[in-house]
Amino acid sequence: MLSPPASPARLPGYDLREPVEADALTSLRRVFGPERGEERWTQACAAAGLSAGHVRTRVQLVQAVQALAGQGGPSAAVARSVEIRMRTYARLAANAAATAGGAR
Amino acid sequence: MMVTDPLYDEARLREIIDLDLLADDVEPLLADIAAEASERLALPVGMISVVLDEALHVAGFHGPDGLWLDETRGHPVEWSFCATSVRTRDAFVVENAQTHPEHQSNPLVTQDGVRCYAGVPMISSRGYVLGNLCVVGLEQRPFSEADVTVLRDLAAEAVRRIERRRAAD
Repeated sequence: MLSPPASPARLPGYDLREPVEADALTSLRRVFGPERGEERWTQACAAAGLSAGHVRTRVQLVQAVQALAGQGGPSAAVARSVEIRMRTYARLAANAAATAGGAR
Repeated sequence: MMVTDPLYDEARLREIIDLDLLADDVEPLLADIAAEASERLALPVGMISVVLDEALHVAGFHGPDGLWLDETRGHPVEWSFCATSVRTRDAFVVENAQTHPEHQSNPLVTQDGVRCYAGVPMISSRGYVLGNLCVVGLEQRPFSEADVTVLRDLAAEAVRRIERRRAAD
């Protein structure tokens, strides 16, 4: 089994947390089933030069998700989902930081 | 059969990729349909969504500039009004989002001011719900059967264009 999910902070107001490796893996398992999902993620990580279960940083997750997209088919749809969630988190976190900065 | 929620149906997601709906050249193909929906229902936002497993992807958009949606081109699926139609295969109408049981705590309502929504599913000729053609407003309002019919006709046109593009490939 790959690593358990981490628990990053949630974005206030939106109740959104930054996606981590475990989220991508959960999505793949949900679509493909446990074994095929895990296999797809392991392949994506390997293609990105990473080790599944050890994707720790945002940059590494982006690389793995790009490799996942490269598999095509439903994997590409799952990859886009993760990418959109990462982009949304980044954009709204920046908004929140700007608002907090402006309020000081 | 493992899949119970159509949102996570592998075959539906494959259809979305087979139709190449996440490609950049889809937006110019569908933007005028989103604009027409917005204009005919007199609401600020018209949108063509592709509903993925965990996110909504914006495939065609007409609305005000400067929205964060412009940058992200989508949002988490749990905020999506459109996901309902993927599950029901029917129109979904919210006349007052602030009192709607499923959406009154949706951040798009509490943080971004969405107050009304009407959407109809785009169903491919192979029978998969790809996403919705929808309109969104910042004030509550009623929607008539005629409004929904307008959206259904425009959604049918969107699917025709999408499938014609696949046939041409």
